[in-house]
Amino acid sequence: MIDPSWVAGLAVILFCIGLWGAFTRKNAIIVLMCIEIILNAVNLNFVAGAAQHGDATGWIYVVFAVAIAAAEVAIGLAIFLAMYSQHETVSLDEVKLLKH
Amino acid sequence: MDVSELAILIPVLPIVAMPLILLLGRLFNGNEKWKGLWKEGGTIAVAVLAIVFVLSMWLIVGHVAAFTEGSGDDFVSDVGDWVTYSLFTENGDMKVQDFGFGLQLDHISVMLLFVASFLCLLIGIFSLGYMNTDPVNENRNHRFYAEFILFCAGMFGMVLADSFLWLFIFWEIMGLCSYLLIGFYYERPSAAYAAKKAFLTTRVGDVFLFVGLLIMHAVFGSWDFAVVFDASNIGAADAGLIKAMLLLMFIGAVGKSAQFPLHVWLPDAMEGPTPVSALIHAATMVNAGLYLVARMYPFFSAPAVAGEFTDVALLIAMIGGITACMAAAIAFVQDDIKKVLAYSTMSQLAYIFTGLGAALWFVNKGYTELAAFAFGASLFHLFNHAMAKGMLFMASGSVIHEMHHAHHELAHHGDDHDDHDDHGEDHFDCQDMTNMGGLASKMPITAIAMAAGSASIIGIPLIGGFWSKEGIVGSTWKAVLQDGGGLFIIPALLVLITAGMTGFYMSRMWFMTFAGKPKTPVAAGVHEQTPFIPIPLVALTGMTLAAILFAGLGFAGWIGDNANHLSLGHLPSHLMHEIMHAFLAVGSDGHSDPYLFMITWITIGLSMLVGPFYAMALHGGSLAKGEKAHWSISWLVSLSGKIRRKYNFDNSAWSDSGISNALKRRLYFDEWYDNLMLKLVVPFALAAAWFDKRIIDGAIKGIESGSQEASKGIRQLTTGSARDYIMMAALGTLALFLLIWGLI
Repeated sequence: MIDPSWVAGLAVILFCIGLWGAFTRKNAIIVLMCIEIILNAVNLNFVAGAAQHGDATGWIYVVFAVAIAAAEVAIGLAIFLAMYSQHETVSLDEVKLLKH
Repeated sequence: MDVSELAILIPVLPIVAMPLILLLGRLFNGNEKWKGLWKEGGTIAVAVLAIVFVLSMWLIVGHVAAFTEGSGDDFVSDVGDWVTYSLFTENGDMKVQDFGFGLQLDHISVMLLFVASFLCLLIGIFSLGYMNTDPVNENRNHRFYAEFILFCAGMFGMVLADSFLWLFIFWEIMGLCSYLLIGFYYERPSAAYAAKKAFLTTRVGDVFLFVGLLIMHAVFGSWDFAVVFDASNIGAADAGLIKAMLLLMFIGAVGKSAQFPLHVWLPDAMEGPTPVSALIHAATMVNAGLYLVARMYPFFSAPAVAGEFTDVALLIAMIGGITACMAAAIAFVQDDIKKVLAYSTMSQLAYIFTGLGAALWFVNKGYTELAAFAFGASLFHLFNHAMAKGMLFMASGSVIHEMHHAHHELAHHGDDHDDHDDHGEDHFDCQDMTNMGGLASKMPITAIAMAAGSASIIGIPLIGGFWSKEGIVGSTWKAVLQDGGGLFIIPALLVLITAGMTGFYMSRMWFMTFAGKPKTPVAAGVHEQTPFIPIPLVALTGMTLAAILFAGLGFAGWIGDNANHLSLGHLPSHLMHEIMHAFLAVGSDGHSDPYLFMITWITIGLSMLVGPFYAMALHGGSLAKGEKAHWSISWLVSLSGKIRRKYNFDNSAWSDSGISNALKRRLYFDEWYDNLMLKLVVPFALAAAWFDKRIIDGAIKGIESGSQEASKGIRQLTTGSARDYIMMAALGTLALFLLIWGLI
C-alpha cells in the first residue's frame, strides 16, 4: 500500500497547482476547474488522513465534499452562463462586478 | 391660603408674562386695538407688576407685623429641588446634595423687595406714557415690555433667593436684560456699542464673582444662605480662602454697581430708553452689587474670624470713597441731563459702599453697635437713593419727552401729517441742558419732583437721603477714631468733600433745566402733557418726603439690628430722637458727641449751602416775565436769580482748564481701557486666533486630509476582480495559519 504521506504530498502539490491557477488564469471556467482541483486536493488529504488513522470519518467527508462540489460546479457554471449572456465574455479581467 | 405658597408667584408671574407679551406682540403687531387698549403689551406688564406689588406688600406687612409682635422669624420657604446628586466623600460614604430653590425673606430682602416691586410698578406705569407716545417705538414696544418684565423677574428672584447660586442666576438674568434694553434702539451704533460695553464690563466682574462662588462651594459644600452664614461653618473654614472669596465677590459687586474701576459702562448705558435708565441703572439692578456686599455681613460678623477681614472692609470703603468723589467731579461738567444723573448714581452708590465698608469693618473689629448703625444707615440710603433716583430719571425722561414734542411741533409747523421721525436731521439734542432753561413754570409736576429728588440726593435736612447720608458720613468718620482705623481718613475725607460736590452738581442740573429764561425756542414751547408720566412722579415725591417718617419709625435701626421692630406708637419720640441724633449728634446715652456734631454740620454746610450757592451763582436765574412757577419752587428760582445777579463770576478759566477737559472726557478712562485692550488683549487675541487656526484647526484638518489619503490608498485594493479577492482570502488564511502555529 502507498504510504499516506505520499498521498498528502500529492494533495499539497495539487492544492498549490489549483491555487496558482485560480490566481493567474483569466478564463472563469478554468478558474472554476482550478477550484475543483483545490477541493480534490482537500479530499485527498481527507483520504490520506483516514488511511493513516484507520478511521472512516475522512472517507465519509469525502463523499459529502464530492456531492457538494458537484452542486457548486453547477451553480458556478450557471453564474458564468448568466455572465456570458450579459457581458459576452467569461474573462475575469473584463468583468469586475464585485466592486459594486 | 398661606402666603408662602403664593410668594413664589412674585418671580414666576413676570417670567410667564414675558413669552406671553412677545407672542401676542408677534401676533398682533400693528393692530389698532393692540396699540390702544393693550399698549403693545404694556397693560399686561403693568397688570402683572400690580399683582406682584400686592403680593409683595402682603408678604412685607406680614413680616413686619410678625416682628413687631415679637413672634417674627425670617421667612424661609423651600420651593423644591432643582438638581439632586450624590457624591462620595473623602472617607468613602455617599452624600446626597441638591441645588434647591427656595425663598428667604429677612429684613434686607423685605426692604429690597419693597423697593423693587414698588419701583417696577411705577416705572411700568411711566413707560405706558413715555414709550407708547413716541413714534420711534411704534410696533416694537412689545419687545420693550417683554424685556422689562423679565428684568423685573430677575430682580424679584435675586432679592428673594435663599442661596448664592440662585442669586447669581437671577443676577445674570438682570445683566442680560440690561444688555437687551440698553440696545433697544439697536439701529443706533452708539446704543449697540453701549449695550456691548455694559455687557462686557459687567461680565468682567461676573467672572470674578463666579470664581468667588466656586470657592464658596469648595469651602462650605453649599451655596445655601443657611449653610454658608452659619458661624460655626465659617469658623471651621480656612480664613484665607474666605478672604479670597469675599474679594472676588466684591469685584462682581463693583462691576454690577458701576464702581471704580469698572464704572465705564454706566454713563453709556444711558443710550437706553429713559424708563430703563430709571429702573435698571438707577433704582434696582445697580443695587444688586450693594445687596451682595450687604449679604456678606455674616462672614465678617462670625466670632471665629474677628479681625481677619478688616482689610477687605477697608478696601470696600476705599473703592466707595474714590468712586464717590470721582463720579461727582465728572458730573460737574456733564451737559447731558441723563449723564449727570448717571454719574450721580455712581457717586451715591459709592456712598453706600463706603457705609457698608465701614459697617463690615466695625463688625469685624467687634464694634457691633457701631456696625449695626452703619449697616442700617447704608441700606436706608440705598432705599432713599432708589426712590429719589428712580424719580429723578423719570423726571428727566419727562423733560426729554416734552422737549421732543416741542421740537417736533416746532419743526413741522403745518405739515404734521408725516409721522416719520426727524431725529438727527438737524442734530437738536433734547437731552442737552444747555438747550433747556425756564421749565419750572412749564412743567410744574416735573420741576417739583426733580427738586424733591435732588434735595434727597444732596441731603438737604429733613428730606430723603439726609437721614441716611449723615449716618454714612458719621460712621466713616467714627471709624477713623477707632483703633487701627486710621486709613479710613481717606474715604472719610472723600465722602465729606463729595457731599459738597453733590450739592453743586445736582443744583446745577436743576437750575440749568428749570431756572432762568428758555435758552432755545424749543424749551419755550414745552408743555407737560403726556399721560401716565405724572403718576409715578407724584407717588415718588411723596415717598421721598416720607423718608422722615421712615426715619422716625427707626427704619435704619430696624435693618441694622435684625431683632429690632418698627413701632408706630413711639413715632413722635423716635422722631425726636432721630432729629436730635441727626442734628445734635446725641447718642443713645443722651450726650452729644462733639466730634460727630462737627462732622454733621460740616456736611450740612457743604451740601446745603456751599454747593447750591455756587450752582446758583453760575446757573441760576429768574423766569421770563409773566411766567410763574408753583409756590413750592418759585422762591428757589427767584433766590437763584438774586444770587446770580449779585455773585455771578466768570469761571471760564476753570471751564477751559485741563482738569475740566479731562473731566469732560471722563478722566480718559475709555481711552485708557482702549489702549489697554490694544496692548494686551488684542495681541493675546491674535495669538489665540493663530493658535486656533494653525494648531487646533490644523490638527483637525490633518486628521481629515490624512484619512482621505488613507482611504484613497485602501480603495485601490477593491479592484472588483474575483481573483484578487481569492488572493486576499488565501493570504488571509495563510496568515491565520501562521498565527495559529505561532510563527508570527
